[in-house]
Amino acid sequence: MRKTVSAAIPFVVVTLLVEGLVRAGWIQAFLVPPPSAVFQTILRDWPELSEAFAKTSAGAILGFLLSSLAGVAIAVFLSSSRRVQDAFYPYAVFFQTVPIIAIAPLLVIWFGYGLRTVVASAFIASIFPVIANTLDGILSTDPALRDLFRLYRASPAATLWKLRFPAALPQILTGLRIAGGLAVIGAIVGEFLGGQGLGSVIDIARTQQRTDKVFAAVLLASVLGLALFGLINIVSRLVLRSWHVSEQS
Amino acid sequence: MNLDRRSFLKTIPAAGLLAGCGKASKIRLALNWKPDPEFGGFYAADFSKHGLDVEILPGGAGTPTVQMIGAGSAEFGIVAADDALVARAQKNDIVALFAVFQTNPMGIMAHASRKLKSIEDVLKGGTLAMQSGLPYARILRKKFAFDRVKVVPSTGGDLTSFLKDENFAQQCFVMDEPLHAKRQGVEVTVFPVSDMGYNPYTTMLAVNGETLRKNPDLAKNMVDAVREGWRTYLDNPASANARMHALNPTVELESFAESAVAQRSLIEANPLGKMTRERWETLAAQLKELGDIPQVPPVEQAFRDL
Amino acid sequence: MTEASIAADRSVALRLSGIRRAFTDLVVIDDLTLDVAAGEFLAILGPSGCGKSTLLRVIAGLISIDSGTLDAEPSGAKLQTAFVFQDANLLPWLTVLENAALPLELTGVGGAERLAIASRVLAEVGLSDAESRYPAQLSGGMRMRVSLARALVTEPRLLLLDEPFAALDEITRFRLEVRLRDLWIERGMTVIFVTHSITEAAFLANRAVVLTRRGCHIRLDRRLALPQVRDNQVRLSAPFADEMKLLLGAMEEED
Repeated sequence: MRKTVSAAIPFVVVTLLVEGLVRAGWIQAFLVPPPSAVFQTILRDWPELSEAFAKTSAGAILGFLLSSLAGVAIAVFLSSSRRVQDAFYPYAVFFQTVPIIAIAPLLVIWFGYGLRTVVASAFIASIFPVIANTLDGILSTDPALRDLFRLYRASPAATLWKLRFPAALPQILTGLRIAGGLAVIGAIVGEFLGGQGLGSVIDIARTQQRTDKVFAAVLLASVLGLALFGLINIVSRLVLRSWHVSEQS
Repeated sequence: MNLDRRSFLKTIPAAGLLAGCGKASKIRLALNWKPDPEFGGFYAADFSKHGLDVEILPGGAGTPTVQMIGAGSAEFGIVAADDALVARAQKNDIVALFAVFQTNPMGIMAHASRKLKSIEDVLKGGTLAMQSGLPYARILRKKFAFDRVKVVPSTGGDLTSFLKDENFAQQCFVMDEPLHAKRQGVEVTVFPVSDMGYNPYTTMLAVNGETLRKNPDLAKNMVDAVREGWRTYLDNPASANARMHALNPTVELESFAESAVAQRSLIEANPLGKMTRERWETLAAQLKELGDIPQVPPVEQAFRDL
Repeated sequence: MTEASIAADRSVALRLSGIRRAFTDLVVIDDLTLDVAAGEFLAILGPSGCGKSTLLRVIAGLISIDSGTLDAEPSGAKLQTAFVFQDANLLPWLTVLENAALPLELTGVGGAERLAIASRVLAEVGLSDAESRYPAQLSGGMRMRVSLARALVTEPRLLLLDEPFAALDEITRFRLEVRLRDLWIERGMTVIFVTHSITEAAFLANRAVVLTRRGCHIRLDRRLALPQVRDNQVRLSAPFADEMKLLLGAMEEED
């Protein structure tokens, strides 16, 4: 409980500060809406915003789950040999650098308008940190531990699943933490293309110069990102609780 | 000079201009899209002849020219009349000086093979890509039933989906996308938005109200230069097209030439760029009915005939 | 009972002939020939960086040799070998019991059976109460005991230890040295123990080899004249001091 209060204090302070500055005219309201207007909009347009929130959540969470599973699988594949890494890792970097807007028409053609494009966009945006962190974790296993496994003639598969993968878990979870937020951003960009959810709310409100609604949607998107982050932290605590230094108090 | 806090931030750009009053000081003109024939007259204008040192800032998808003018990151900008009225209702004091398009160039285009006769026909089936937040789109929704057409977000000028799917219709600028489609082998029917009674001035040169009050000569010189530039461009678009093409090479030069011809009838007026109170009042009434502005404002404050 | 009268099996457990190993241009092991008798407790002494850890890893089969031969008894087949590292090297996500059972898991022994074996061996090193704890909750000494237990679960015929007690405090070290020697006597395995501590070598081994600073050449190869059964009192005896003097002399010699 105390952690939540500590985290909330900066938010409250900044909100009050911005409210004051806008009301006094120091910040123009057409650039930054007063927080009171944003909250009013959230309350007034709640049915529309909550439905949009649900849609974006679905897209982001599905995209994130897919990128987590695929990312770990790809990293395991890449870890199998130096040659495999050299051959395929550069293509993984493609996922990180491609601007989704650039491939937008293609995404829409392949996945249509709606949830599938949103999930695809969230997937593309969030998969690389999972691959990079998982691979790094698997490849960074303590050489002495690897010697131990070699001594008992453990097969490469046994070494992977009984040693390298569990040893990589802290790193994998770090990658997931990063990917969660990126999945939310990716989902929203996908919604600019696919036409639903918070992304659509932002896109339409922007053309109407409804900055209050834009900020309201952005705020809700942040809540989604926070929720995902919190979820991963819970998983991390459960998995690492007994043995990793990061979860010992 | 009025230095209460309210206008403090707005005086900063104006003060900068005052410092350069009389000499050619750097003026920024922010476009709301990439350089193409809809801005031809601006690139054809001879600003230095009118004592102005103008830097044209190309824009793109979502460039917030309305906010840029309000915040002072550009002295002049290109805005549409409906955006201007909504901005003014939010206490963003921007003033329109010159309207390039006398007729709104926006439209809906569909494959000619569908043999559609009106916008209403377009809404009877298939897919329609448009910016649902724009006033014209919401007017359409009020007027017609949308239960049989699938509305998707605007493609931002991209024609990939349109070319692939015969039942895909999309928002366009009448002198732009239809010509591209034709060049790719697809004949289109275009339904101008102005035909359905929604006809705001478009591609207007706008300025910050404070700047205008402090420096009316600057604004007048700017309008003169722009008016001349548009006359030049309408009569002879080639050199301005070449200049714009260098900045926006993804579109072919011949497209520019075709668009320049196609848009002429939407622009010609005497004098070029003129605006009337009537049209502004009509627009204000339409926006009030949509709920985009709380009440009809005194429209003479929204534009100036210089 | 003294060394001389032990009915030790004089057959050779390990024969190294002309072993050579170089890393780029540094020759770490230069033409080493050494026989290790079955059931022997051999201490390999040398200054830091002389290659003794490399030698141990060569014996374990973790590092390959450039030339020479390595023969284990029975001839041809590899001896059942276990290794205790300098760092306890436990898997942090497994309990003490699971860690100890790991070699059995890797060699295909079933779940209940391997845990039972591990439990018995953990009792031998005095860790029965800690079976369900995780390595993060153990002291350095306890972690090393788990490592030791882990090495013993496969009933190895050859036990290799690479300075295992170097990071521990003195009293813990003394305790573990006593325990290790007892385990050696109980199980009758061949032990090769690498260390830079003369006291440790003298206390633990019945044969000590001192290596040169470079190239792993043997400077001294000595059967220690000390009793078979040793407790900490031995450290204060005259024969112990004599052996220490000899070993110290060999260690201090210039190349």
